[in-house]
Amino acid sequence: MPYQLTLLKTMNPGIDLQGSFVQVLTDLGLPVGVAKVVWIPLPMLVVLVGATVAVLVTTWLERKISAAAQQRIGPEYAGPLGMLIPVADGLKLLFKEDIIPMKADRWLFTLGPAVVVIPVFLSFLIVPFGHNLQITDLGIGIFLWIALSSIAPIGLLMAGYSSNNKYSLLGGLRAAAQSISYEIPLALSVLAIVMMSNSLSTVDIVEQQAGFGILGWNIWRQPIGFLIFWIAALAECERLPFDLPEAEEELVAGYQTEYAGMKFGLFYLGSYVNLVLSALLFAVLYLGGWEFLVPVGAIADWIGVSETTAWLQVLTGALGIVMTVFKAYLLIFLAILLRWTLPRVRIDQLLDLGWKFLLPISLVNLLLTAALKLTFPVAFGG
Amino acid sequence: MLKFLKQVSDYTKEAVQAAKYIGQGLSVTFDHMQRRPITVQYPYEKLIPSERYRGRIHFEFDKCISCEVCVRVCPINLPVVDWEFNKETKKKKLNHYSIDFGVCIFCGNCVEYCPTNCLSMTEEYELSTYDRHELNFDNVALGRLPYKVTQDPMVQPMRELAYLPKGVLDPHGLPPGSRRAGKLPEEIVEELERQSAKDEPKKEDAKK
Repeated sequence: MPYQLTLLKTMNPGIDLQGSFVQVLTDLGLPVGVAKVVWIPLPMLVVLVGATVAVLVTTWLERKISAAAQQRIGPEYAGPLGMLIPVADGLKLLFKEDIIPMKADRWLFTLGPAVVVIPVFLSFLIVPFGHNLQITDLGIGIFLWIALSSIAPIGLLMAGYSSNNKYSLLGGLRAAAQSISYEIPLALSVLAIVMMSNSLSTVDIVEQQAGFGILGWNIWRQPIGFLIFWIAALAECERLPFDLPEAEEELVAGYQTEYAGMKFGLFYLGSYVNLVLSALLFAVLYLGGWEFLVPVGAIADWIGVSETTAWLQVLTGALGIVMTVFKAYLLIFLAILLRWTLPRVRIDQLLDLGWKFLLPISLVNLLLTAALKLTFPVAFGG
Repeated sequence: MLKFLKQVSDYTKEAVQAAKYIGQGLSVTFDHMQRRPITVQYPYEKLIPSERYRGRIHFEFDKCISCEVCVRVCPINLPVVDWEFNKETKKKKLNHYSIDFGVCIFCGNCVEYCPTNCLSMTEEYELSTYDRHELNFDNVALGRLPYKVTQDPMVQPMRELAYLPKGVLDPHGLPPGSRRAGKLPEEIVEELERQSAKDEPKKEDAKK
């Protein structure tokens, strides 16, 4: 397998933006090291801006789809179809007075939102949009995401505790309990995927699903795993069937109760970025990432175009980004639809579901995957 | 062992059933997304209140005989009737009449029981003020008629659901002159009258 992997990497069919960029700069007379340093911040900036824009789009979509599901119109007057409403929301939060309650713990109160948001943005490091279209192809890619996502509950606990408010504390505790108990089934379902693709790298996981179009996607090989992953991801994002930490009917707004202005905005941003991230990773893990419904390489072969043709590389690159984003938004749509379908679970039901249902099922899934891998190494990545 | 297997199979069945119900719920939500919004954009569009709408109460000063029936039938004795006895004509003379709409529940009992029909319900419902005491209407304010929604050039009047043609659910973009489902009340009356007029000669014939 390592030999095959290196082979795959050497015959890399995607566009190499970094290589071309460094090439251009060295041609202009810059040393290679300096050219690489100039390159480094660019993808980070692009991904940061991209994630923020994706969040703005998601909040708009959430409002519009919610409105449609309830036979309303939704935002209409701010820009065409109310598309400027997230901008208006953001500006409002930005300019609002930043209130810190008198008896709150100043430091923890300020630190809380940052600790929640930063790891989520950091996780975008490993989201691939194409062969070379990601910030870094880390060997421990998906493990990094799981590790980073366990930092968020600390921030939530900080926020809940430092607010000096019973609702905040309850919300914070619930958030921590929820995140910790759903992390395990999440990690186990990811582990089954990792076992099949023999790698933690997100690029390798997508590569392993490539070649057969829609039929090769992991969703067919992991029918239980993808359900567990989606349930656990919804719980991690605190989306509606599992939004107990915020539960506005019982806890005012949970750990966000005492927050105002941009600190509240950071929590809000964090939760939506997390949703986008989960959807993107779901697309990568189960829906074949940047792969099109039919393998692009096969079509290229069929019409007789070489895989290294420039326009084909640009086309596949663009198609990859479009496909990844499209799959992610399809999942976000599903999450919004679920929000208006399912009632909120109670805290005991939530923990029951996490520990007594998802955990054993995901363990069984892992064992099953291992057994299938041993018996059918062709289909399950031997 | 068998018991354990049965437990497992029951558990699986329950899980599958729960998944099925979630699927059904999702399909309902998804179906709702195709329906047209029923939103009425309020300050620009307004619903036409129905004939029996119970809005702000209208009062005709000259018809009132100060009998205070309205006060007695009111759940909280709300109307204030200020009258004095005129010894020469031996009749009550009404000085002031007022109803506080900040307290009124618009039950319509006063309108129902008024012997001279000097009270009636209007279709006015926009009763918001900065001070609740402004809602205490005196006989002058009670005598004003509300502005009709259908005559307001700033407002697009919208028909309520019961006044839409058969099968139509959306009041937007209705062709002018389209009829509501079923017969109008006056048509029913007219029909009944015609029927009885037809029956009358027959009865007279029978008598002869």
